[in-house]
Amino acid sequence: MSMRVEYINPFLQASFSVLETVLGKTPTKGELGMRPNVFTSQQCNVITGVTGKIQGQVIYGMSLITADRIASMMIGQPIRTFDQLAASAIAELGNMITGNAMALLAEAGYVCDITPPTIVRGANVKISTLNIPALIIPVTLDQGLLELTVSLQEK
Amino acid sequence: MSSLGLTHSGGTHVAKRILVTDDAMFMRVTLKNILTKNGFEVAGEATNGREAVDLYRTLKPDAVTMDITMPEMDGISAVKEIRKIDPNARIIMCTAMGQKNMVIEAVSAGAKDFIVKPFQPEKVVEAVQKVCG
Repeated sequence: MSMRVEYINPFLQASFSVLETVLGKTPTKGELGMRPNVFTSQQCNVITGVTGKIQGQVIYGMSLITADRIASMMIGQPIRTFDQLAASAIAELGNMITGNAMALLAEAGYVCDITPPTIVRGANVKISTLNIPALIIPVTLDQGLLELTVSLQEK
Repeated sequence: MSSLGLTHSGGTHVAKRILVTDDAMFMRVTLKNILTKNGFEVAGEATNGREAVDLYRTLKPDAVTMDITMPEMDGISAVKEIRKIDPNARIIMCTAMGQKNMVIEAVSAGAKDFIVKPFQPEKVVEAVQKVCG
């Protein structure tokens, strides 16, 4: 049960640079954690897939309030309801972080591709039946907590 | 010339017409806002590569922004298809994936520029202006 640090650092680096650009402020990294499989206890989750030399999933989980706040910031005005545009903004945030991580992974010798993001709302969701261990990276933003669940393995 | 996307032609200002391609509604709205604020006209919006190819044929836009990761048909395949219809098509990739192999693949397929998301609005305006000449 281990995940190589070479897979993790690109996501950490990409999440910081993307969040800083999109939200205008440097986030704070919390204590890393580990789970035996891909499970999320967050209410709003963006699921992105990685295919290629390494494969698996990276999930961006947050509370509904945090999702509302991030979407408002990205859209440039407060959102009244979490509509299609808000969901699309949150999905795009996950897409940008995973996408940006691909350039860093490629530099480390792992050329991969991503799949379009999907949003899952509802807590306590087991995302994958694969028993790939997941690394949890909590990131604190002005808008609340963003939890990265990185579950990747070499093909 | 007051706005960036306008060209002078026979006494009237004609805005350059852009086709925006992205599966994410948020990105289409964002790009549309940036482009229209800077004097460009968004001729159409495509949500995948297949739609972009079809809309290119009917709309004949001055330039196209093209995402890569999309359902139905990805952006690189769409660039190849559009260049078959119009070898002079001006396409700017606009994607979250900036790895070298992706840039090389896009450029060899015929893309004129490559923007990595998240981007600053000026970056988009500059790229569209440049390809529109």
